[in-house]
Amino acid sequence: MIALGQQIENKFLVAVNKKSSNNILDCYQCGKCVSTCPVSSFMDFSPREIMQMIKLGLKEETYMANSMWFCLTCAACSGRCPREIDIPRVMESIRHLAIAENINPDDPRVKNIRKFHEIFLDMIKRYGRNYELRMMAEFNIRTRNLFKDIHLAPKALLKGKIPIGNEKVKSAKAIKRMFEIAEKLEKTQ
Amino acid sequence: MTKLTYFPGCSAHGTSEEFDSTLKLVMKSLDVEMEELPDWNCCGATSAHVMTENLALALPLRNLVLAEKLSNKTMGIACASCYSRMKSTKVEMDNHPELAKRINSTIIEEGEYQGSVDVKSMLQFFYEDFGTEAIAEKVTYPLQGLKIACYYGCLLTRPKAITQFDSPEYPMSMDNIVESLGATATPFDFKTECCGASFSISDTEIVLSLSGTILEMAKESGAHLIAVACPLCQSNLDMRQPDIEKKNGTKYDMPVMYITQLMALAFGYPVQDLKPSKHIVPIEQALSHIGEEIETPEVKKKPKKAVQAESEVE
Repeated sequence: MIALGQQIENKFLVAVNKKSSNNILDCYQCGKCVSTCPVSSFMDFSPREIMQMIKLGLKEETYMANSMWFCLTCAACSGRCPREIDIPRVMESIRHLAIAENINPDDPRVKNIRKFHEIFLDMIKRYGRNYELRMMAEFNIRTRNLFKDIHLAPKALLKGKIPIGNEKVKSAKAIKRMFEIAEKLEKTQ
Repeated sequence: MTKLTYFPGCSAHGTSEEFDSTLKLVMKSLDVEMEELPDWNCCGATSAHVMTENLALALPLRNLVLAEKLSNKTMGIACASCYSRMKSTKVEMDNHPELAKRINSTIIEEGEYQGSVDVKSMLQFFYEDFGTEAIAEKVTYPLQGLKIACYYGCLLTRPKAITQFDSPEYPMSMDNIVESLGATATPFDFKTECCGASFSISDTEIVLSLSGTILEMAKESGAHLIAVACPLCQSNLDMRQPDIEKKNGTKYDMPVMYITQLMALAFGYPVQDLKPSKHIVPIEQALSHIGEEIETPEVKKKPKKAVQAESEVE
């Protein structure tokens, strides 16, 4: 039982504030971010709702939302936020925290988005640069949607819009080592 | 002769080859020597910063440190996403010494970050280091009659604290450049709305929706074509345009050209040099408006000066 006047420590709020270098308590729920956000209609909870959920310490609910996975980091919201909260940074922080705790939303679209990013990073780890054609092909294979965008292929390939070959970084070892050290840092932080 | 370190980014050697090749033509006309950053790596956009904090800074950092080994004081970046990642990393490294130390530990061979190289987008470089008058001087084939909607996307001017360039709400740098080429910039309210970026592959529906509205508004502004300075914006608006038309049950016929293609054309290079075959929506029809008399616009033109962000007005 919580006694009246007793302070409850909102650990989630403290963690997000620290990670994002913001003070989410500044948010007064005006909703300007929602009307500005180009993808808020795709989100389970709008940026404004996410801010309130963090304030209320609803950690599980926040992690299970698809919102931070749809954030484009376009920074339209933060440019207009009257409380100057860096909302994309907050979205990024809760995404990183959720990844660290290995909590994934059930939304199948989020699963696809996550797969895309994993494949992309894998390309960089392997080649040091992105290999667009291979990335698209791997995405189709790993999401079991082999014929996605196949109607674009004849035009895009014939016109040389998407090159068939790829480039690699000479210092491939340095990139690989960077990935390894960064991964270690991620765990120890 | 000005010297500039050039960071092309992965797409300049892939889906946006025509950006790369016309950029080189424009720089030749402006008497700028571009030195491509040796052995550059992918900046990590968009995936690195979505997934991890350390890698998101480490990947751009290696490029920043490599750039410091060259003697040029500025690195010009073709891709808007690369620019955003590189500039964000620079700002983080310059302002947070502890974080800087941690991130620097991920790159061993390349050495310590000094912070001695400035990072600019190509649009910013044209606008700040040359300006519209110097650009106008190079024009031998004025693009008079051509109406252009200038589309900046999100990252070239946002967030203001990172880019320190133009207005995050209603930028005018590209508009002023196309006018210095003799063309007319149309009043276009969606110039900084997001196109959907990397969702192009992972959640195409979002791109069809967001890019669709941008095409719609560009058409409404009376433009013959859209000018861009970002490879991802170009490919979303151009390559996805047939799908968007199908979804919306309408025809836009809106070519999407890089600002450097338009500059190269105005500087006297033949259309063939713009690599028109790379475009999914053909550019020839739009370019045929060059030379047409422009009717005096009835609508009052937007002010030349960029609209300042609210926070700066006070």
